[in-house]
Amino acid sequence: MRAFEYAAPRTLDEALAVLREHGDEARVIAGGTALVTMMRQRLVSPGYLVSLRDIRGLDRIEADNGGIRIGALATHRDVETSPLVRERLPVLAETFRRVASVRIRNMATVGGALAHADPNQDPPVTLIALGARVEICGTDGRRALPVEEFFRDYYESALEPGEVVIGVVVPQLAPASGAAYVKFLPRTADDYATVAVAATVSVDPDGERCRAARIALGSVGVTPIRARGAEGLLAGQRFGAELLRGAGEAVKGAVDPLSDHRGSAAYKREMAGVMVGRALTRAWDAALVSARGTR
Amino acid sequence: MAHRIIGKPIGRVDGTEKVSGAARYSGDVSVPGLIWGKALRSPLPHARIARIDVTRAKALPGVLAVLTAKDLPGILVGRRMFDMPLLARERVRFIGEKVAVVAAADPDVAEEATTLIDVEYEDLPAVIDPEAATVAGAPVVHDDPGAYEGAPAERPHANVQSVLRFKLGDVQAGFREAARTFEHTFRTQLAHQGYLEPHAGVVAIDEDGRVQVWASNKMPFRLKELLSHALQLPQEKIRVNLTPIGGDFGGKGSLMDLPLAYHLARVTGRPVKMVMRYAEELMAGNPRHPSVITLRTGVSRDGQIVARSVRALFNSGAYAAFKPAPSVSLGGASMGAGVYRIPNLLIESFCVYTNNIPCGHARSPGEPQMVFAEESHMDMIARELALDPAEFRRRNLLRDGDHLANGHHLEHVRAGDTLEAALKASEYSEPKPGPWIGRGMAMTHRHIGVGFTNAVVRLGTDGRVTLRIALPDTGTGAHLVLRQVVAEVLGVAMDDVEIELATTDDFATDSGVGGSRVTHTGGRAAYHAAEKLKAQIEAEAAKLGVPADSLAAIARAAAREGRTLEASHFYDAKAHGAVTSFTAQVAEVAVDPQTGQVTVRRFTTTHDVGTVINPLGHQGQIEGGLIQGLGFALMEEIKTEEGRISTLSLGDVKLPTIQDIPPLTTVILEDPVGPGPFNAKAIGEGSISAVAPAIANAVADACGARILDLPITAEKVYFALKEKERRP
Repeated sequence: MRAFEYAAPRTLDEALAVLREHGDEARVIAGGTALVTMMRQRLVSPGYLVSLRDIRGLDRIEADNGGIRIGALATHRDVETSPLVRERLPVLAETFRRVASVRIRNMATVGGALAHADPNQDPPVTLIALGARVEICGTDGRRALPVEEFFRDYYESALEPGEVVIGVVVPQLAPASGAAYVKFLPRTADDYATVAVAATVSVDPDGERCRAARIALGSVGVTPIRARGAEGLLAGQRFGAELLRGAGEAVKGAVDPLSDHRGSAAYKREMAGVMVGRALTRAWDAALVSARGTR
Repeated sequence: MAHRIIGKPIGRVDGTEKVSGAARYSGDVSVPGLIWGKALRSPLPHARIARIDVTRAKALPGVLAVLTAKDLPGILVGRRMFDMPLLARERVRFIGEKVAVVAAADPDVAEEATTLIDVEYEDLPAVIDPEAATVAGAPVVHDDPGAYEGAPAERPHANVQSVLRFKLGDVQAGFREAARTFEHTFRTQLAHQGYLEPHAGVVAIDEDGRVQVWASNKMPFRLKELLSHALQLPQEKIRVNLTPIGGDFGGKGSLMDLPLAYHLARVTGRPVKMVMRYAEELMAGNPRHPSVITLRTGVSRDGQIVARSVRALFNSGAYAAFKPAPSVSLGGASMGAGVYRIPNLLIESFCVYTNNIPCGHARSPGEPQMVFAEESHMDMIARELALDPAEFRRRNLLRDGDHLANGHHLEHVRAGDTLEAALKASEYSEPKPGPWIGRGMAMTHRHIGVGFTNAVVRLGTDGRVTLRIALPDTGTGAHLVLRQVVAEVLGVAMDDVEIELATTDDFATDSGVGGSRVTHTGGRAAYHAAEKLKAQIEAEAAKLGVPADSLAAIARAAAREGRTLEASHFYDAKAHGAVTSFTAQVAEVAVDPQTGQVTVRRFTTTHDVGTVINPLGHQGQIEGGLIQGLGFALMEEIKTEEGRISTLSLGDVKLPTIQDIPPLTTVILEDPVGPGPFNAKAIGEGSISAVAPAIANAVADACGARILDLPITAEKVYFALKEKERRP
């Protein structure tokens, strides 16, 4: 690892100023689980590290218009164990629980993971399916965009130089809705997904038909993706094997996986189809439970 | 005879210091003035080195030395066949081969400097595939391997390192007798041993020119010999100091970076530490050989094996240097005969040069590869014969008095008992709990390791006993077992026996750790030394007229006369005995037909063992080997593309975690007939080899998909099922 300078400012403004001052030489560090590994492998060699860990209030998990706002410095473990998240969006707690090991989850932050833009991560998939928005702050002010628009390419996000992720806002599920996250781990329980799928399904009040659905996938290309084509097939339809097969086929056409040691592109494509069916089944079951509860 | 301490589940005493970080491994050794060495490695599988320019590296502030092959003697190193240069000279033969080495006080500076060395390569045609390596006209990895010291004489092709044969009867005549003949080919993957501690070492040259070495090496005396050869120094000039070893699994017997650390120490006048990063371990350690194995078996009408021929090709990579056996091959090839009496047998095993990472020894070298092939082959034949795989095995198992192809004559053969116990404990014959669930079995056996060990046992004036040895504990708990042996013989408490680690200065020799020998050789050396001390104590007690358990008084009385009560023993077991240990395992798996995912629902392992000295340690060895076997079967694989390893971290090469381990049932058949202390046998390598074929056979039973190449990934099963749908 190359030697570097380190600063841990107390305020966001200070951090942004340091980032601006050092330009390309500077990198933001939060939990460091990804960045330090890349520095050790000399994939990145920043001359200046700006730590966000001393900035107060950036790690809050709080209710927000019926949904939840998660500060960028909240750790994966914080989200996994948050009573608020477990109560309102159990699928999100479950998704964060599936990340790596508890040692990693104790360090890795929500904002850091988003900024890292690794297409094999778990949380972005569920965040996309839930319609979450990422909050970004730069010296020119704040902006927010849907998580699905945040990832641009392999390890590349929409962050401009000098910008940092400050939080993510996750809306509450609509009434009579369910959500599920399916992480396909055919090799070992401790791995990145071979294919990951998150789905939300909203049903009619009588539970007969799908009103709307959102489907997102991870580990199937250079960014996590939303499968709008498959979503479109579901609206207004009754649940059944034929419908799931159709959604699976649509997803198989939408993904563009890379061959690696977690599977060939051909296999991942097939599994994307299978896992979409499984995620939709679970989300639909949850929606039916939710619909019965609201009736 | 009932024992006080032998057979008791005594816990590890070194656990606390290891998990708390207090244990000092070789990589933790610190001496005044210590600096770091880092290596630059080849990015090409086969190339001529046209030019190396170290100017920019040398100019980096903090760099103390930069060495290339031209700064070093043209010595070649190895464990048995000496074919590896210290640094690549004129030619690189695999991606990861060391080309230059840098020293700096700061390891980051040393590493930075390696990136500033400019090497100009001219590509040479590479040979990556072991089958392609042995055809006429294949690119040659070494121009004249026969000229290397330690090279075997037989060389059918310039890319063949060694040929190992095992023969019984007349194999051609045997096949003529056969009613049916079956032939199958299997492949196994490149796999790292997976020890947590990467290779690490410190070399310091004293003012009087003595070379002090701390190394993660399990054979200190062999290391001293090899260093003496590599450094062209007399052995008396070298002292190897023992440290705890963070896992060996066969991989910690080579020189690795130690000669380079010595030369950096020589030119800088400073002690030098070199620690491989895990990426370097995966790129240039000494992993398990990949293999291509073809078995052909002739069977009589009543299901008896009448003939078998086996051809094994082990992809040894660019150098033979990491193989320690005199044959420069892998003894595991002999397991082509399985646990069966085969009257007419020919096993031919070839270790082949290619432009890949050089391979070495890994827990039961060659056996997991061969047993996967052999035991899968057995099941495939049984199915063709419409025989239950257990029944087919029963008809062919070894019996008392049988001879193995490697010349061993067997006694106390418990193959049948072991198999039946496994079938019973696994409920093999019970109805399966559902569809897509299958059961499979596999068997193997393993000899008890031989070697030689020195031990000294001393009674202190405080009544406590010290066992002095120069045998490292590689993490197995061997030292605990040795303490138990001494405590049992002398009738003292465990806490009253401590280990004093000697260095290579203190004894003439020791064969070190390997081949499941330590309980046997170290245990017997400690046992006999303790017996001798016990006799001394009894004589002293009689003389003094005190009870023989008044140890402190006896020792003090001797001390007053200027004597220390101490006894030593050199135990040397030269040849393998007639006793072996059988293993039978049964896997129950579920296959997900939509994904091909294999879940091991339960696993039964049955072992024919000698006296169990420590049930906890014994079970730890069984489970550890089994889990390694599980990783080998289902997930572990170092992937290469044209000689380039694409899985350079343990995030990519997946080892099993605690969550991946199925419910285990262990059955121990204790039979006190081993050559070890208190009639112990060996266990360290007994549980690894049959796991993969047991799972492969269970997968075939569950879904009809027969996977012939490891690891058995979900993807392979999925596409095999698709293929079956297409062509039922």
